[in-house]
Amino acid sequence: MQHIDILIIDDEIKFADMLAKRIELRGCSKAVCYDGRSALDWVSSHAGQISLILLDLRLPDLYGTEVLIGIKKINPAIPVIILTGHGTENDRKECERLGAYRFIHKPPNINELMTILEHIRETSAC
Amino acid sequence: MLKIFPDFLKSLRPEFHQHRKNVHLDSFFTFTNYRYLWFMSIFILALTALSPICIATLIYYQLIETSVDSDLNHRTKQLTAAAKSAVTFFMEERLNALTFTVNENGYEQLADNARLSEILNNLKLGFGGVTDLSVLDAGGNQVAYAGPFNLEGKNYKNQSWFEQSLKKMNYISEVFTGYRGVPHIIIAVRSAKTDGSFFILRATLDTERLMQTLSSYKTGDYADIFLVNHEGVLQTPSMHYGSIFTPTNLIFPTDSDEIEVREISLKGKYIISGHSFISRDLTSTPFVLMVLKEKAGMLKFWQDMSFKFNWIMGVSVIIIVIVITFASTFMVNKLYRADRAKAETMMQMEQSQQLASIGQLAAGVAHEINNPLAVINQTAGYMKDLFTFKDQTRNDDELAEYIDSILDAVDRCGTITRQLLGFVRQFDVKIKKVNLQKLISQVLSFHKKEAEYRRIHVTVSIPDIFPDLETDSSKLQQVLVNLINNAFQAVEEGNCLDIIASQIDTNTIELVIHDTGCGIPEENLKKIHEPFFSTKQNGSGTGLGLSITYGLIKKLGGRISVQSTEGVGTSFTIILPVKIKEGRIA
Repeated sequence: MQHIDILIIDDEIKFADMLAKRIELRGCSKAVCYDGRSALDWVSSHAGQISLILLDLRLPDLYGTEVLIGIKKINPAIPVIILTGHGTENDRKECERLGAYRFIHKPPNINELMTILEHIRETSAC
Repeated sequence: MLKIFPDFLKSLRPEFHQHRKNVHLDSFFTFTNYRYLWFMSIFILALTALSPICIATLIYYQLIETSVDSDLNHRTKQLTAAAKSAVTFFMEERLNALTFTVNENGYEQLADNARLSEILNNLKLGFGGVTDLSVLDAGGNQVAYAGPFNLEGKNYKNQSWFEQSLKKMNYISEVFTGYRGVPHIIIAVRSAKTDGSFFILRATLDTERLMQTLSSYKTGDYADIFLVNHEGVLQTPSMHYGSIFTPTNLIFPTDSDEIEVREISLKGKYIISGHSFISRDLTSTPFVLMVLKEKAGMLKFWQDMSFKFNWIMGVSVIIIVIVITFASTFMVNKLYRADRAKAETMMQMEQSQQLASIGQLAAGVAHEINNPLAVINQTAGYMKDLFTFKDQTRNDDELAEYIDSILDAVDRCGTITRQLLGFVRQFDVKIKKVNLQKLISQVLSFHKKEAEYRRIHVTVSIPDIFPDLETDSSKLQQVLVNLINNAFQAVEEGNCLDIIASQIDTNTIELVIHDTGCGIPEENLKKIHEPFFSTKQNGSGTGLGLSITYGLIKKLGGRISVQSTEGVGTSFTIILPVKIKEGRIA
């Protein structure tokens, strides 16, 4: 099964698609999910093949935190970056408690994301 | 001193007199009619303080009057008794002297003019007041005469005193003028000659002596002592009734010998009058002794005292009223100042709450705008990538698509900004036509995403035929923002929020905002519209939202009620007029 560098989970379709295209341009593989349940399905069927997940906190069907818990249940090793438009300090603490890798406000800097991905690849290679 | 007086008057004048009308500020005052409050305060305090004083004074006056009256009666009675015994003694003394003379001398000696003159001289020396003496036989013929007038040979047979004298042992006449035209009294004693026929010794008494005796009992200018006969004709001059022989209405029943005292009114004066019949053991006289005492004169001491007392009372009452006015002004001023400070704070709070609700909206707007901005950011970033990673510049459909994407996202931001501006601008507008449906969806649009995320079922039910409201849209909007914000905070995931409007009659509509949230505990229900009451922790709420909502609805001419069951839900019911009354809006 194909390895995926970055999985984007966001209900803002245009944003997710555009981010995916930019990641692709930089030579990384990507996948996109637009709601929480399909994302969890996707993760469970691709567990072990995802390097990094970008997760929005507000999704139409589930809370971002619920999705985060689900992902951690499937595979606690996958680093999850929370990507939020309006996360509060409480949200950040909650997410970090649940095992989020980073907490980033929208809009994200693509180069920063790529640096993080690079860093993850290096550490997992070791 | 001149400077202090205006200051003194100023401190009596309450501050609310300078109150400038400000409809907006005035609506926050707890008490609206300070003038009434002030007057009532003075009135009630004055009534409480002065009524016991007035009642005590009245009772005091009443008691004094009663005791003075009984004292006056007593004194009049005493004076009447003293004068009575003097007059009785005067009459008795002379009658006894005459009786003695008759018994001692006998007819033969008395019929002798020289002897009679001698006796007259002795009587004048002993008693005074005896003008002449005469001896009459049973036929009324004057037998002997001693005195200054030449009355020898006169016949008194037809005179009433002679007839009376013959019938009794002795006789005292009324005062009359007789042949001489001088007021006098006749005293006659009947006796028998040796042959058994009657003869009479008669003496004429000068009334001057009797008047002197009466005058000696006069005390002060207010007493009047005189004699009347049984028919009420004056026998001595009276201060009140006039000169001698003036008829009066002083007629008394003759059955009592006692001294009687009563109160009469004479020519507008109050008078204590005492009277008694003058009589001796054997013979009754035709005289009634009258003693009149003017109450005013006798009351003079008391009146002087009560005048002073009234002065003290008057000054005390004025001082009490001034002190009460001071105290009332002071208290009402304190109340007014506190109330005004509260009203000013409430007005400021309303303004800051208005700002806070705009702030809440701004947060919602920032949230809504963030997503399209992220799209713009990524799309623009991708376009830059295209220039960097690919060599595409012209006739590229993909590029055009991304530019459309940017424009679309910018449009979304624009829509949100316009909504916000539209919302804020409405604060400037006063009364205008408002479509409730539109207003509610406008307010709800800021909660659209939140409702979606938290899966809150929002339903709005407004009848198809529903009137446009003519009201202050900004205030109504603020009411809706506050209540819908509250509802959103109260509900949990999956709960319902129902907004139901209905028309009660042509002039009134009802709006119910019902949620199935946590509800309000019963003990808090009464407090929720009090300022600064909040159950939100860590100071996240000001506690002013509902308080100001209540105020706003009052200003819109409506009313609000709340029903809530803890754990079941809360319903706010607002009744609003379709058309707001003129002048209601501040």
